[in-house]
Amino acid sequence: MYTSVVRLQNVFGFFTTVAFVVAAFIAASDFVAERAPIVRTLKTTSVQVVRGRPHYYSSKKEEYAVINFSLDADLSSLFTWNTKQVFVYVTAEWPAADHSTTNATNEAVIWDSIITSPSADHLANHWSRRHEEAAQERGREDGKLVLKNQRHKYKITHPSGKLATTENVTLRLHYNVQPWVGLLTWNQDVDYGYWKALKNGVSKRFKLPAIKEKKPASAGSR
Amino acid sequence: MAEQLLDQIRDVAEGQIDFEGQKLVELLVNVTLALTAVVAFLVGYILQDIKLALQIGLAGTALTFVIAVPPWPFYNRNPVKWLQVGGGLVPPQNLIIDEKSFR
Amino acid sequence: MLSSLANPRQAAVQLMNFGLILSTAFMMWKGLSVITDSPSPIVVVLSGSMEPAFQRGDLLFLWNRNVVTETSVGEVVVYSVKGKDIPIVHRIVRKFGKGPEAKLLTKGDNNVSDDTELYASGQDYLVRKDIIGSVFAYIPFVGYVTILLSEHPWLKTVMLGLMGLVVVLQRE
Repeated sequence: MYTSVVRLQNVFGFFTTVAFVVAAFIAASDFVAERAPIVRTLKTTSVQVVRGRPHYYSSKKEEYAVINFSLDADLSSLFTWNTKQVFVYVTAEWPAADHSTTNATNEAVIWDSIITSPSADHLANHWSRRHEEAAQERGREDGKLVLKNQRHKYKITHPSGKLATTENVTLRLHYNVQPWVGLLTWNQDVDYGYWKALKNGVSKRFKLPAIKEKKPASAGSR
Repeated sequence: MAEQLLDQIRDVAEGQIDFEGQKLVELLVNVTLALTAVVAFLVGYILQDIKLALQIGLAGTALTFVIAVPPWPFYNRNPVKWLQVGGGLVPPQNLIIDEKSFR
Repeated sequence: MLSSLANPRQAAVQLMNFGLILSTAFMMWKGLSVITDSPSPIVVVLSGSMEPAFQRGDLLFLWNRNVVTETSVGEVVVYSVKGKDIPIVHRIVRKFGKGPEAKLLTKGDNNVSDDTELYASGQDYLVRKDIIGSVFAYIPFVGYVTILLSEHPWLKTVMLGLMGLVVVLQRE
């Protein structure tokens, strides 16, 4: 601490230690913040299977499931001072067609949305939001999502190209909490301390219908 | 000439402080940074505002640098009193340091 | 500074210290690599394709073991594609099947379309072994220095100049 240079180095060194400790405390404060996500409704409103091409120049025809749904959920308790954003997504799940591979499942996101916390609003980039969904999709009111007959964002396929008449399909709501610093966390099926499980986040089982013959221009969002 | 100039610049850049000053600056750095950390966390947590916590933290750190780095006069209030050259005590003839005898 | 060269023992001690610091850092990195089972357990975000979750310069900690569950949809993973050096951080959006051969499709949160275009030609899906880790923890901004240094090489010159200045201005 004799010369200015040494003092500069020492202060900076101690600053990094202190900053790290504070960051650790901030990250740990997540564990004492209560999380109680509520799902009131998650149900399909229309289900179709259409034939289409993966992209405009492709000659291959595949079957696409087009699923629209309604969702009423309150994820506001996920927002604390350390929350940067919550990534909400709805997946469709169905068991493998051939039962040779036991218990194998297929899972695909049909809709997702980023809800930035107020502290990260300046980072939300609107260009990536897709046109008509933009307004309702953001769910800006502290994570309260009320979606009625929401259009799917992604048409789903299967590597085999076959999807029609698939049985036992369910929709499932998920979330991923992105902190400013610390651990990334997802929805959980059981309670951990102050964090309650996400209940009721699964739709009723449904069956994909037979192919509806129509001419889709192209399966734009794959 | 150039050597003298360099010496003067060195004097300014070096920013020496005395022993008491070093003790003081260490205490001040530890207290201000630790206090900043505690205040930043508590204010941020209570108001649930992480931006505010970051601002308090950075402001406190900047303040610490301002306090600690320049050789403020109050770090030089206890200059070391050197013995007079040639006067007073005569070093003992048989003083051995680093196996080299001083005469 | 230069006087240490005159004293070989002191010079040797300095060399040893320097070597110790380097080898400690290397051991910690490799140790972390073994614990997480990932060749690169800490990565710096280089692109904006996962914004607003990750900005350029953010630090991500990866975990590459499937202890309780398999790597599944919704996880943010770092994968590398054959023939491309730079690993990519994106989210898994589809998973077909189970086990090491399950087909995985990824997409950047900030991208309009999925990653099929980014994969090797003829590759439509990833498999588990393409993934070098799943993001489990996050520290913002800290890695930005590496981006600055690699994108503005003159900054290295400035840093060297500053260090030289410190050495010149310091008395022995």
